[in-house]
Amino acid sequence: MLGLASISLVLAASIVIGVWGVKAARSTPDFLVASRRIVPGWNALAIAGEYVSAASVLGLAGLLVKNGVGAMWYAVGFTAGYVLVAALVAGPMRRSGAYTVPDFAEYRFGSPRIRRMCGLVVLVIMLLYLIPQFKAAGVVLELVSGIPYWIGVVGAGLVVASTIAVGGMRSATYVQAFHYLLKLAFIAGPALVLIFLAGPERREAAIDPLEVDDEWMRPMLDLGDSGQPVLATVSVLVATTLGAMGLPHVVMRFHTVAGARAARRVAVSVIVLLSAFYLFPVVYGLLGRVVTPSPSETDVVPVLVPGEIAPGAVGAVLTALVAAGAFAAFLSTSSGLLLALAGGLSHDLFGGSLPRLRLGVAVGTGLAVALALPAAGVDINVLVGWAFAVAASTFCPLLALGIWWRGLTATGATVGLLIGAGSSTGAAMTSVLIDIEPGVVSILLAQPALWTVPLAFAAMILASRPSSVPEWADEAVLRLHLPGRYSAEIPIARPRKSLDASEKTN
Amino acid sequence: MNQRVRVTSPQTRLALRRRTDAMRPLNRRAGRPPIASTPIDMDAAERALKRQRRLALRTVLALGLALAALLLAADLASGRLGWAVLFFAPYPVLLVLAAVHVRRAERIESDS
Repeated sequence: MLGLASISLVLAASIVIGVWGVKAARSTPDFLVASRRIVPGWNALAIAGEYVSAASVLGLAGLLVKNGVGAMWYAVGFTAGYVLVAALVAGPMRRSGAYTVPDFAEYRFGSPRIRRMCGLVVLVIMLLYLIPQFKAAGVVLELVSGIPYWIGVVGAGLVVASTIAVGGMRSATYVQAFHYLLKLAFIAGPALVLIFLAGPERREAAIDPLEVDDEWMRPMLDLGDSGQPVLATVSVLVATTLGAMGLPHVVMRFHTVAGARAARRVAVSVIVLLSAFYLFPVVYGLLGRVVTPSPSETDVVPVLVPGEIAPGAVGAVLTALVAAGAFAAFLSTSSGLLLALAGGLSHDLFGGSLPRLRLGVAVGTGLAVALALPAAGVDINVLVGWAFAVAASTFCPLLALGIWWRGLTATGATVGLLIGAGSSTGAAMTSVLIDIEPGVVSILLAQPALWTVPLAFAAMILASRPSSVPEWADEAVLRLHLPGRYSAEIPIARPRKSLDASEKTN
Repeated sequence: MNQRVRVTSPQTRLALRRRTDAMRPLNRRAGRPPIASTPIDMDAAERALKRQRRLALRTVLALGLALAALLLAADLASGRLGWAVLFFAPYPVLLVLAAVHVRRAERIESDS
């Protein structure tokens, strides 16, 4: 009951902050990117808040208990992606003046058709990413309050959709910044208390490899006992690192900062915030291995650990805190994802107004909830891993080549997107539907980024004929790299102090 | 030379475009994207792009090498040390890589 109460408190606080930020959700630019008036510090917090999802809070610890310490590679990849974001995407993307990846594609290729294709890819990635978030909400609610899984999932969907549809991105930014702090406090605080309460014996057991088998302690990520741990680890790393760079909801966030410089710096701040956060799921995983070595549902390990270590009132309070933190993770990630999904549905695919955008939120939630119901048995990190793999094989090459190589044409981008999306989703589906003997092949299907990313890059490069590069492609690319008044975005006549403060104005 | 030019921000242009998009059928036209019409110094831009690209490639390469080294170190270190490497080592490395890149990129921008 305490758990349910704390979750309700998180919810109430989120709604209050959301309503407080609602004031300005009037036009489409306001709704989507808060009219670019969001301060960089808030933005970094919001990006981290949105990014640290249920996969990080719950999935990571669960996977650690199930597969071994190699699960930490997921966290490394999730963070390493932001090095690439800072180096390759943040600055130029912000200068392009586009709101979303599809908008960028239109800026770069001048073709509305490719915008629609990108809109479709956004839908696939966002849905794959949303399903595990709703699953997490369902299992946590079921554990702390006994509410049946499906009611929890549907209820969570209603809550998220209504906050977003009312508030839009501005409220989402404040809500998500709040959620990052909340998650850090509610995950890190109990973790520290639990380390203390666990006592010397269990602490020793948690970090001592002698008592567990070598496979668990080996810092590699073996997927489904394939016997190819190094290959599996590398493939997960490729997917998470390159995927983070292509995630539409992350890229969208950079449009809400003041300028290209600020965008890059925000990416660096995000690395700091993520590093601070990712230490704690590991603590739950290591303790969980000792106190709940074989849980029935691996994705709820962090919620189970406090009760096992400290039975009674203290344990109940800690459980409630962790559950609230996990729920905050669900709320913030899913609202960011839904916003990107709604953006994709309404103005990239149908070209739209605010009511359509709101409809997009409703439709997106409905789809995600419907798909989350049968996904109850799939590990959170597996689903999230696919979302990253698809992003890595589609938007990663699109952005990397589109920003840095003038030779990429609309045809090349289209062919690459089709091949990348087709091969990565196809491989993931095959690995679910067909039972393949564990080995090299099963890894390359379950975690396909290792081959689908190079394939997509190659397809984009080979299908871009030099003769069909339009004459304005030169300028479109060059403007992405010029600072100050030369950049793609023209300074508006009236002074905008806060908006371009970080951009060099010469 | 007294021609009047309509000046709009890229956001406005995109928004206007979107409104017309919504009313027209699919796949109706492709052409020059909404690029700003202010003139730019193409040679300076060319130099900036080349320098930034070299820097970006170097950062990507460094990230790849750093991750490979971590993978190797974690695998070779046995037992407790193995997970300790994975727990503590990666994040400072990633932060340094990103921070160095951003500093250099900003220096290139202030040169050009």
